[in-house]
Amino acid sequence: MLGGVFHAAVLFLVAAGLQLVFGVQRILNLACGSFYALGAYTGVSAVGWALGAGLPAPLFVLVLLAAGVALAAIGPPIERLLRTIYDRDEAFQLLLTFALVLMLEDVIRFVWGTAPVQLGGVYLVYGQARIASTTVPVYNLVVIAAGALIALGMGWFLARSRFGRIVRATAENREMAEALGVDMSRVYVRVFTLGVGLGTVGGALVIPATAAMNEMGIELIVEAFAVVVIGGLGSMRGAAAGALIVGVLKGVAIATWPEVEMLAIYVIVIAVLVLRPAGLFARATA
Amino acid sequence: MLRVTGLDVFIDASHILRDVSLEVGERQVVCLVGRNGAGKTTTLRTIMGYRRPARGTIAFRDAALERMPTHAIAARGLAFSPEDSGIFADLTVAENIEIATWTRPTGRPGAERIARAYDVFPRLRGYAARGGTQLSGGERKMLSIARALALDPELLLLDEPFEGLSPAIIPTLAESLAAITRLGCGLLIAESNIHHVPPWTDRLYVIERGEIIFAGTLDQAHRDGSVLRVIGGKAS
Repeated sequence: MLGGVFHAAVLFLVAAGLQLVFGVQRILNLACGSFYALGAYTGVSAVGWALGAGLPAPLFVLVLLAAGVALAAIGPPIERLLRTIYDRDEAFQLLLTFALVLMLEDVIRFVWGTAPVQLGGVYLVYGQARIASTTVPVYNLVVIAAGALIALGMGWFLARSRFGRIVRATAENREMAEALGVDMSRVYVRVFTLGVGLGTVGGALVIPATAAMNEMGIELIVEAFAVVVIGGLGSMRGAAAGALIVGVLKGVAIATWPEVEMLAIYVIVIAVLVLRPAGLFARATA
Repeated sequence: MLRVTGLDVFIDASHILRDVSLEVGERQVVCLVGRNGAGKTTTLRTIMGYRRPARGTIAFRDAALERMPTHAIAARGLAFSPEDSGIFADLTVAENIEIATWTRPTGRPGAERIARAYDVFPRLRGYAARGGTQLSGGERKMLSIARALALDPELLLLDEPFEGLSPAIIPTLAESLAAITRLGCGLLIAESNIHHVPPWTDRLYVIERGEIIFAGTLDQAHRDGSVLRVIGGKAS
């Protein structure tokens, strides 16, 4: 159950990045799973390097966060590449972002090799906590708290900050925002970079608990799409609710009846598609 | 202030505007009158940079607008209120108005620009905290124009400001537009009903099938047989 919430926190970050970029730029970014994988690998290397340099082990989570945030710097050049397809058919967008998935996979293969990479020895550095007769690594709770904080932060940013309001206006009516003096290319670069950052931070945070593998990006993008279908495309609240549903369901399924893990998720997806095709938190406006 | 010369615009393969020229002087009120589909909206949208003309120039003060992106045109002081109002439903009324003060800093403080917008449309003041979806059609028009005014523009482009309004509201809105001109703003209004053209309009252009067929005062238009054939009589 708590394992599920842990997974949900990470899944939320990736799905939130997907939602943000889709909501504003109308691009369905398949590569957001690859940003997650890239964040994971970079996290392993950054922590390995920091511990080698004598950093006290309990501070590793800060290194992971910093690595994830720093990696968002790949956002602007990638956005530059995607700019060529903003006004084209969705098929081109999917093709180009899928090409990005393959390219980033090769980048990972080139830098880190094909074998899974693991970050040994820090996962349990904070010890274990006993909650209702089960033991949970405290690190999981740290990640859950970080995910919740980022979710609240995103909520505040979109609802209250100037740039957040401009982002919402742009998402709703791009042409009108432009007529009010909003420079779309600058909004797009920032939003895309933020979306990348959510994915890379998610990848970096997950890595103490699991090994970094090249397929992890593809695996997560499939789940992130399930989250998006359940929550509603373009909605932040939907991303949070969808991630919780998928994460917890997966956790419960693994603990009780592992065979139906994937099936259970897709039963929900199909139910949502049949009963509420636009998702649980669909926006009133398109 | 704004000088449009010899504009030719195509949408896909259709020739929508043919050799359109018009001019708005400093602080002037100019109406572009024509039936639905005559090319009024396309003219305004081309001036705002949403469409690129195949031929022709658009000069605003000393700047050539015809190759500028829309946000840069807005930054020069042209504000636009589209036919569908373009209200951000996700934002409150106050946020809709405020947004224009963030994107274009001018010599006038943001608070003063917002206050001016509410002064012109006092009714909106009571709705400041409402969402964009909780407004009537007339209130949406008002908000759209108030927001454009908050950009602190030199010239306001209004696409069909009176369309779909109840007859009771039309005089109120006309009075608000007059108040805007007293603030020193020029107006370029697209209008399909010649009866909505305010009497204090400086000049009127009639557009038909993408061509300007008349330019002159409202009085001259009322006496012009070809103008009346195109847009007269109909009260729609």
